[in-house]
Amino acid sequence: MDRPPELTASADPTWARPAVLVPVFVLISSVAGALPSFSLSANLLVLGTGGVLFWFGLAHPPRRRPPLRLPAGAVWWVVPVVIFVLVELTTFLLGSRPSTPTFSLLADPVLERYLPRSALFLGWLAAFWGLVRR
Amino acid sequence: MLAVGLYGVALVLAGVLELVARREDSQVPTVGEVCGFVMTYRVGPIPVGRIAVFGFWWWVGWHFFAR
Repeated sequence: MDRPPELTASADPTWARPAVLVPVFVLISSVAGALPSFSLSANLLVLGTGGVLFWFGLAHPPRRRPPLRLPAGAVWWVVPVVIFVLVELTTFLLGSRPSTPTFSLLADPVLERYLPRSALFLGWLAAFWGLVRR
Repeated sequence: MLAVGLYGVALVLAGVLELVARREDSQVPTVGEVCGFVMTYRVGPIPVGRIAVFGFWWWVGWHFFAR
Protein backbone atom coordinates (compact mmCIF):
# COMPACT_ATOMS: atom_id res chain seq x y z
CA MET A 1 0.00 0.00 0.00
CA ASP A 2 1.00 3.66 -0.30
CA ARG A 3 3.22 4.65 2.55
CA PRO A 4 4.03 8.36 2.20
CA PRO A 5 7.27 9.62 3.72
CA GLU A 6 7.31 10.69 7.31
CA LEU A 7 6.88 14.31 8.24
CA THR A 8 9.81 16.01 9.87
CA ALA A 9 8.25 19.39 10.55
CA SER A 10 7.18 18.75 14.13
CA ALA A 11 9.78 17.64 16.63
CA ASP A 12 8.69 16.07 19.90
CA PRO A 13 9.17 18.18 23.00
CA THR A 14 11.99 17.04 25.29
CA TRP A 15 9.66 15.32 27.73
CA ALA A 16 8.04 13.33 24.91
CA ARG A 17 11.22 11.46 23.94
CA PRO A 18 11.52 7.73 24.65
CA ALA A 19 14.34 8.25 27.18
CA VAL A 20 11.88 10.23 29.30
CA LEU A 21 8.60 8.56 28.44
CA VAL A 22 9.58 4.92 28.93
CA PRO A 23 10.63 5.32 32.59
CA VAL A 24 7.61 7.53 33.26
CA PHE A 25 5.24 4.98 31.70
CA VAL A 26 6.88 2.16 33.69
CA LEU A 27 6.54 4.18 36.90
CA ILE A 28 2.89 5.01 36.25
CA SER A 29 2.15 1.38 35.38
CA SER A 30 3.85 0.13 38.53
CA VAL A 31 1.53 2.37 40.54
CA ALA A 32 -1.53 1.47 38.45
CA GLY A 33 -0.95 -2.23 39.08
CA ALA A 34 -1.46 -1.69 42.79
CA LEU A 35 -4.70 0.26 42.48
CA PRO A 36 -7.85 -1.87 42.74
CA SER A 37 -10.74 -1.47 40.34
CA PHE A 38 -13.59 0.78 41.43
CA SER A 39 -11.22 2.84 43.59
CA LEU A 40 -11.10 6.62 43.30
CA SER A 41 -7.32 6.53 42.82
CA ALA A 42 -7.60 4.06 39.89
CA ASN A 43 -10.23 6.27 38.26
CA LEU A 44 -8.13 9.39 38.72
CA LEU A 45 -5.00 7.72 37.35
CA VAL A 46 -6.69 6.38 34.21
CA LEU A 47 -8.65 9.58 33.60
CA GLY A 48 -5.56 11.71 34.25
CA THR A 49 -3.06 9.82 32.09
CA GLY A 50 -5.66 9.25 29.37
CA GLY A 51 -6.62 12.90 29.49
CA VAL A 52 -3.04 14.06 29.06
CA LEU A 53 -2.49 11.70 26.12
CA PHE A 54 -5.83 12.66 24.59
CA TRP A 55 -4.94 16.36 24.82
CA PHE A 56 -1.43 15.78 23.44
CA GLY A 57 -2.79 13.83 20.50
CA LEU A 58 -5.19 16.61 19.55
CA ALA A 59 -2.83 19.50 20.27
CA HIS A 60 0.15 18.17 18.33
CA PRO A 61 0.09 17.20 14.65
CA PRO A 62 0.88 13.59 13.78
CA ARG A 63 4.47 12.69 13.02
CA ARG A 64 3.74 10.77 9.85
CA ARG A 65 1.29 11.17 7.02
CA PRO A 66 -1.59 8.71 7.29
CA PRO A 67 -2.32 6.43 4.34
CA LEU A 68 -4.39 8.23 1.71
CA ARG A 69 -6.46 5.11 1.13
CA LEU A 70 -6.53 1.56 2.38
CA PRO A 71 -5.86 -1.44 0.14
CA ALA A 72 -8.62 -3.93 -0.57
CA GLY A 73 -7.10 -6.33 1.96
CA ALA A 74 -8.26 -4.02 4.74
CA VAL A 75 -11.62 -5.74 4.60
CA TRP A 76 -10.04 -8.79 6.27
CA TRP A 77 -9.91 -6.80 9.53
CA VAL A 78 -13.69 -6.87 9.57
CA VAL A 79 -13.66 -10.64 10.26
CA PRO A 80 -12.03 -10.69 13.74
CA VAL A 81 -13.78 -7.47 14.71
CA VAL A 82 -17.22 -8.81 13.80
CA ILE A 83 -16.56 -12.14 15.56
CA PHE A 84 -15.41 -10.32 18.71
CA VAL A 85 -18.28 -7.82 18.72
CA LEU A 86 -20.92 -10.50 18.09
CA VAL A 87 -19.61 -12.72 20.89
CA GLU A 88 -19.29 -9.75 23.25
CA LEU A 89 -22.81 -8.57 22.45
CA THR A 90 -24.31 -12.04 22.79
CA THR A 91 -22.61 -12.80 26.11
CA PHE A 92 -23.55 -9.37 27.43
CA LEU A 93 -27.21 -9.89 26.53
CA LEU A 94 -27.10 -13.35 28.15
CA GLY A 95 -25.99 -11.75 31.40
CA SER A 96 -22.23 -12.42 31.39
CA ARG A 97 -22.20 -15.63 33.42
CA PRO A 98 -19.32 -18.10 33.80
CA SER A 99 -20.91 -20.27 31.11
CA THR A 100 -21.25 -17.29 28.74
CA PRO A 101 -18.63 -14.78 29.88
CA THR A 102 -18.00 -11.34 28.40
CA PHE A 103 -14.38 -10.48 27.68
CA SER A 104 -14.35 -8.30 30.80
CA LEU A 105 -15.37 -11.24 33.00
CA LEU A 106 -12.58 -13.35 31.49
CA ALA A 107 -10.06 -10.57 32.10
CA ASP A 108 -10.99 -10.02 35.74
CA PRO A 109 -8.93 -12.88 37.27
CA VAL A 110 -5.88 -11.76 35.28
CA LEU A 111 -6.29 -8.10 36.23
CA GLU A 112 -6.58 -8.95 39.92
CA ARG A 113 -2.87 -9.76 40.05
CA TYR A 114 -0.26 -7.02 40.31
CA LEU A 115 2.22 -8.00 37.59
CA PRO A 116 -0.26 -8.72 34.78
CA ARG A 117 -2.23 -5.62 35.72
CA SER A 118 0.90 -3.46 35.61
CA ALA A 119 2.11 -5.02 32.36
CA LEU A 120 -1.27 -4.60 30.66
CA PHE A 121 -1.52 -1.01 31.88
CA LEU A 122 1.92 -0.38 30.39
CA GLY A 123 0.69 -1.90 27.12
CA TRP A 124 -2.38 0.33 27.21
CA LEU A 125 -0.22 3.43 27.75
CA ALA A 126 2.24 2.43 25.01
CA ALA A 127 -0.57 1.77 22.53
CA PHE A 128 -2.19 5.10 23.45
CA TRP A 129 1.12 6.84 22.79
CA GLY A 130 1.44 5.01 19.47
CA LEU A 131 -2.00 6.30 18.45
CA VAL A 132 -1.20 9.83 19.60
CA ARG A 133 1.96 9.99 17.48
CA ARG A 134 0.31 8.53 14.40
CA MET B 1 -16.92 -22.35 26.64
CA LEU B 2 -17.93 -21.62 23.06
CA ALA B 3 -17.58 -17.92 23.84
CA VAL B 4 -14.01 -18.39 25.10
CA GLY B 5 -13.14 -20.29 21.93
CA LEU B 6 -14.62 -17.60 19.72
CA TYR B 7 -12.75 -14.86 21.59
CA GLY B 8 -9.61 -16.89 20.99
CA VAL B 9 -10.40 -17.25 17.29
CA ALA B 10 -10.90 -13.49 16.96
CA LEU B 11 -7.64 -12.69 18.75
CA VAL B 12 -5.62 -15.28 16.83
CA LEU B 13 -7.09 -14.04 13.54
CA ALA B 14 -6.13 -10.48 14.44
CA GLY B 15 -2.60 -11.62 15.26
CA VAL B 16 -2.28 -13.52 11.98
CA LEU B 17 -3.57 -10.52 10.02
CA GLU B 18 -1.04 -8.24 11.72
CA LEU B 19 1.77 -10.65 10.80
CA VAL B 20 0.54 -10.85 7.20
CA ALA B 21 0.27 -7.06 7.06
CA ARG B 22 3.90 -6.66 8.09
CA ARG B 23 5.17 -8.64 5.11
CA GLU B 24 6.67 -6.61 2.31
CA ASP B 25 4.15 -5.54 -0.38
CA SER B 26 1.28 -6.89 1.67
CA GLN B 27 -2.20 -5.91 0.52
CA VAL B 28 -3.39 -6.04 4.12
CA PRO B 29 -2.75 -2.90 6.19
CA THR B 30 -1.46 -3.13 9.76
CA VAL B 31 -3.84 -2.23 12.55
CA GLY B 32 -1.81 0.95 13.02
CA GLU B 33 -2.35 1.93 9.40
CA VAL B 34 -6.07 1.29 9.71
CA CYS B 35 -6.17 3.47 12.83
CA GLY B 36 -4.12 6.14 11.04
CA PHE B 37 -6.58 6.12 8.16
CA VAL B 38 -9.61 6.34 10.46
CA MET B 39 -7.98 9.23 12.30
CA THR B 40 -7.82 11.30 9.12
CA TYR B 41 -11.61 11.73 9.16
CA ARG B 42 -12.60 15.32 9.89
CA VAL B 43 -15.85 17.23 9.90
CA GLY B 44 -14.79 20.74 9.03
CA PRO B 45 -12.10 21.75 11.53
CA ILE B 46 -13.04 19.00 14.00
CA PRO B 47 -10.75 15.92 13.95
CA VAL B 48 -13.60 13.50 14.52
CA GLY B 49 -11.52 10.43 13.67
CA ARG B 50 -8.79 11.27 16.19
CA ILE B 51 -11.34 12.10 18.88
CA ALA B 52 -13.18 8.82 18.25
CA VAL B 53 -10.05 6.62 18.28
CA PHE B 54 -8.51 8.33 21.33
CA GLY B 55 -11.86 8.31 23.09
CA PHE B 56 -12.35 4.61 22.43
CA TRP B 57 -8.88 3.73 23.71
CA TRP B 58 -9.33 5.96 26.76
CA TRP B 59 -12.60 4.18 27.51
CA VAL B 60 -10.90 0.74 27.14
CA GLY B 61 -8.37 1.74 29.80
CA TRP B 62 -11.03 3.10 32.11
CA HIS B 63 -13.21 -0.01 31.66
CA PHE B 64 -10.46 -2.52 32.43
CA PHE B 65 -8.32 -0.66 34.97
CA ALA B 66 -10.76 1.58 36.81
CA ARG B 67 -14.16 -0.15 36.66
